[in-house]
Amino acid sequence: MSDPNDLPGTEAPIAVPEPVPVPVPAPVLAPAPVLAPAPLPSPACVPGSMPGEVITTTVDNFVNWFREGSIWYMLFATACCGIELMQTGGPRTDLDRFGAVPRSSPRQSDLMIIAGTITYKMADRVRMLYAQMPEPRYVIAMGSCANCGGLFQRGYSVIPGVDSVIPVDIYLPGCPPRPEALNEAILRLQDLMHGERWTQKIKGNA
Amino acid sequence: MTFAEITQRLGTAFPDGIEVVEDTLMDPAVRIRADLAHAVCLWLRDDPDLHMDTLRVITATDRPPESIDVVWHLLSMRHRHTLVLKARLPRETPDVSTVSDLWASANWFEREQWDLMGVNFTGHPDLRRLMMPIDWVGHPLRKDYVRPDSYHGIPTSRDAVTPVTRAEIPRHLPKAEPTDDLMLINMGPVHPATHGVLNFLLETDGEIVRHAKPDVGYLHRSIEKIAEMNTYAGTMPYTDRVDYLGGMMTNQGWAMACERLLGIEVPRRAEFCRVIACELNRIASHLVGTGSMSMDLGAYTPFIHWLRERETINDIMERICGARLTYTYMRIGGVCRDIDRETLDKISAWLDHFEPICAEFDRLITGNEIFVHRLANVAVLTKEVALSYSIVGPNLRASGVKWDLRRDEPYSVYPELDFDIPVGLGWRGTVGDCYDRLLLRLFEIRECIKILRQAIAMIPDGEVRAKVPRILKPAANEAYGRVEAPRGEAGFYVTSDGTDKPWRVRIRTGCFTAMPVIEHMSPGLMIADIVAVIGSLDVIAPEVDR
Repeated sequence: MSDPNDLPGTEAPIAVPEPVPVPVPAPVLAPAPVLAPAPLPSPACVPGSMPGEVITTTVDNFVNWFREGSIWYMLFATACCGIELMQTGGPRTDLDRFGAVPRSSPRQSDLMIIAGTITYKMADRVRMLYAQMPEPRYVIAMGSCANCGGLFQRGYSVIPGVDSVIPVDIYLPGCPPRPEALNEAILRLQDLMHGERWTQKIKGNA
Repeated sequence: MTFAEITQRLGTAFPDGIEVVEDTLMDPAVRIRADLAHAVCLWLRDDPDLHMDTLRVITATDRPPESIDVVWHLLSMRHRHTLVLKARLPRETPDVSTVSDLWASANWFEREQWDLMGVNFTGHPDLRRLMMPIDWVGHPLRKDYVRPDSYHGIPTSRDAVTPVTRAEIPRHLPKAEPTDDLMLINMGPVHPATHGVLNFLLETDGEIVRHAKPDVGYLHRSIEKIAEMNTYAGTMPYTDRVDYLGGMMTNQGWAMACERLLGIEVPRRAEFCRVIACELNRIASHLVGTGSMSMDLGAYTPFIHWLRERETINDIMERICGARLTYTYMRIGGVCRDIDRETLDKISAWLDHFEPICAEFDRLITGNEIFVHRLANVAVLTKEVALSYSIVGPNLRASGVKWDLRRDEPYSVYPELDFDIPVGLGWRGTVGDCYDRLLLRLFEIRECIKILRQAIAMIPDGEVRAKVPRILKPAANEAYGRVEAPRGEAGFYVTSDGTDKPWRVRIRTGCFTAMPVIEHMSPGLMIADIVAVIGSLDVIAPEVDR
């Protein structure tokens, strides 16, 4: 039993699981739905339109409403927080229901979640990734390491907070933060996005 | 063979080679003349009675003002004996000959020790910095190392940081230069399929990889240095972060090393609590390992199924120790709190629920022909190469070597428990291919279930913590504590000096040796196969970099 070099043959073979065929149910045609008669039109709020067809809002509200409903975050997990980021995208917390879905490329992302420790060797890469993201872009510093260096502040190789490299919008404490906390951070970010005044910025630039 | 016998044979073979025999240490060591290091290692490896086939770890310990010690931990899997070999070098000119021609794993161990401690391994083929950036100054693990004020304009102290505002535009960096004929592709450190910040420089000819060069250190968090600044108990939270998927096991490795130094006996109930927590954690780790591997290869559903199960484990872990991921459950001399009956019932209930789901996973993905074709016969890791690269854990077992520390260097209460150790048999291809490594983990999950059921039935009543003094001051000694973590051996080599802080801590993890083997396996693979190899080896960045 002790010699590792003649072991494989001595083992009892373990059965390899075979795929089990799944019976496919026959398609059943649903009966045609009975449609209720359409309600009669009531007086329109805007001349020439039906009620509920037209809303009035500002351009900022309109743009922000779209933006905050589709926050695409970059798949960027450096350390332990990355596992909680993964669980946040998983079935229980399900970040997708807020329109936040992971993207692999920085060029298509709105949000960068710094999930984990950043070292000096990594700092240049973080800066480059941030530069590759299109405007408007947001950053959540997730966990103590990204906030301030956390547990590893006394080490020689960890940067003391990612805000020494790129601007940070939301600081999320915890080591690591729970998925619920990250969820809350996304909601806070939505609040922040809702307050953006794009029209004024465009006017200011012009 | 015992230590005395080995020393005696060594003395016969090298009459003037032995300087000191340090047999009072917890792991007795023999110190040899530094200029004979290569000859002694060659003899130890090739002598049929000794047959030191595995190099566990190379450590350099700073001993100011005049010397640096280099320590080789050797292991013979065939004869099941170990040897700690030392050499003392002058601190000004720390030169010792390389052993990278004897064991392939020595290559990276030596590069790391050169980077962090400044030991010059003469004859090493590629002695460059491994963990720190190329333009870093100094060797950080030396005792007299002073941290610089800033690096590339980034301050090293939090007090000196002025948060960057949106007005400042970050600068771009130049891209990698292409080489002749071949295309140089940078895979990582941010890549959706590299499991954290691992970087590979791929030299490709079309879709075929000619050479994949791993570049690590993007998550080097100086845990070894911080452990020297902390008390023994204060290092426990850092061990979680060495391996965030298997924190319980690294906790236990550290606790065992300290308990050996201090001579503390752990109560029996605490040992069972440890086993239960560890095996539960091992399942959780393998769920992420196998699930994320299938996701990297394009199958998203199994991953979501596994994450759902993992949430339940996290809930149980929260009941056990209060944390979901970074547990810090172990204490030196026991565990931090008892596992109550209700939690044990919850675990049993979850196991009843989970066991059928293993079969569901097999139906979804394991037996899937597309998946099998994607993995079988890809990146075969033979037994000889695996031993030379000091591969440990499931990856070694998948190559057909039956070596599991729970059985072969038994610790805790594992000898009382009945479980099998699966080895790779080439289920759908060759022994040691990617498919074997995946399937082996799935079999291990089933073994964990078996262990858990037994441990829950056998757990005795009693204390969960031994009487431990408030301030721990072990006498000057050295001990190596090791456990079987989900990715292989997690070893802590602790040197104490009589104070309340360790003098030197060296962490040996399974992933560190699994990284260079990718370079060995890569020529001829497709780029997409590299993803499969990384996933099947279950490499995670913090274990590589620490």
